[in-house]
Amino acid sequence: MKGTLVIITAVIALVVSFFLFTDIAFFSRGYARTKLFASDMVGPTLKVISSPVHLIGDLFDGYVNLVGVKKRNADLQRRLDALTAENQKIPELEKENNRLKGLLNLRDQKEHQMVAARVVGEDVANWFKCVIIDKGRVNGIRERMPVVTASGVVGQAVEVSKWHAKVMILNDANSAIDVYVVGKHSRGIIEGNGRNTVKMKYVLKTDDVETGDRLITSGKDSIYPKGLAVGIVINVNKNMPGLFADIDVMPFNNYKKLDEVMVVTQ
Amino acid sequence: MIKRLFCLALGLFLIAFESAFFSFLPIDFAKPDVAVPFIVYAVFFLGPVEGLIASVLFGFSQELLSAAPAGSMLFTKIAVFLGSSFLRHHLYIESRYTFSLLSTGFVVFESIVFLALGVVAKGELRNIFNVSVYTLPAAIFTGMLSLPIYTLLQHLKIRHLEGT
Repeated sequence: MKGTLVIITAVIALVVSFFLFTDIAFFSRGYARTKLFASDMVGPTLKVISSPVHLIGDLFDGYVNLVGVKKRNADLQRRLDALTAENQKIPELEKENNRLKGLLNLRDQKEHQMVAARVVGEDVANWFKCVIIDKGRVNGIRERMPVVTASGVVGQAVEVSKWHAKVMILNDANSAIDVYVVGKHSRGIIEGNGRNTVKMKYVLKTDDVETGDRLITSGKDSIYPKGLAVGIVINVNKNMPGLFADIDVMPFNNYKKLDEVMVVTQ
Repeated sequence: MIKRLFCLALGLFLIAFESAFFSFLPIDFAKPDVAVPFIVYAVFFLGPVEGLIASVLFGFSQELLSAAPAGSMLFTKIAVFLGSSFLRHHLYIESRYTFSLLSTGFVVFESIVFLALGVVAKGELRNIFNVSVYTLPAAIFTGMLSLPIYTLLQHLKIRHLEGT
């Protein structure tokens, strides 16, 4: 009798979770509130657990970085010399840039306000690509805010609790970003597929997109501001039926190596 | 009582630890589903009520630490509970290897349930690539992880928690 009751309860729970999945407002509203409440407690716990893990990681990285540091130092010195020489041209280029901008009547883009955050966790299921950061609602983070690093776009905040937030990486199958090809008038949508590379879709075969082209956000999806680096085209296939080319893109950010990120709050 | 609470607490800790640990490790394939062995253990060795509580609690906890759509993890974990409850009357776990094999099988079962849920509820196959690529490695690693989990829980049951 007890066993039968448990099975009936389980079947009811199964049906309820099915309705939660279908986003029926009656079920999902209460569930979202429960999740938010529980998330507020999970955040600090995750931070405590991740601290020793990160400490070990940092120690390991420190040791690995020491190996071959002399050779790397010499390489960096050479690069520094080359960049110093190149830097001397910058003031002149800046002047020229300002003059041309003035001619085109372009306004300077507003500086973005950002909040730095540390990655404290990752999606427990490998079907989805998300990271958990240690900043949440109290730090001004809200849903749909873009998350970036110095290299480029990471993704967007999808669920924000008081102390932490979940960031959907651009590699996730549910992610899409409107992008431009730098220097060309081609536009497309970057869609994740769960792999390390992502697909650029809806680019006509007649468009001049080549391997090595760099992609930036177009700003037209009303999530990502214009001009953030996204990735580089690594393969273009036009030998297939249909209007559009099959384009593979390597994102600039490797989400498995993210330690710190910036959330664009304004 | 202590045995049941310990089992739940250990499972929850491992889920949180997995989330923190894998953000540091640059590997994706070897990510086991920690919840499955605990649900199977609870159903087979602790009882149906404990199994149901474990499946709801672990499903919910995994959703908190994942970008999974609302209800999806809960659905798959309850499906694992129902599957284990059915097998409980047809299968006898005599060693950790049988337990490991069963956990492996339930990870595959869970993936199929997840895909079916997506198709039936939303008519989408967007996640089919992820699920098909990661299912087998996840199942194998879950099976491997379930060996020490089973040994630990059985050891504690015999040595320290028997009769509690």
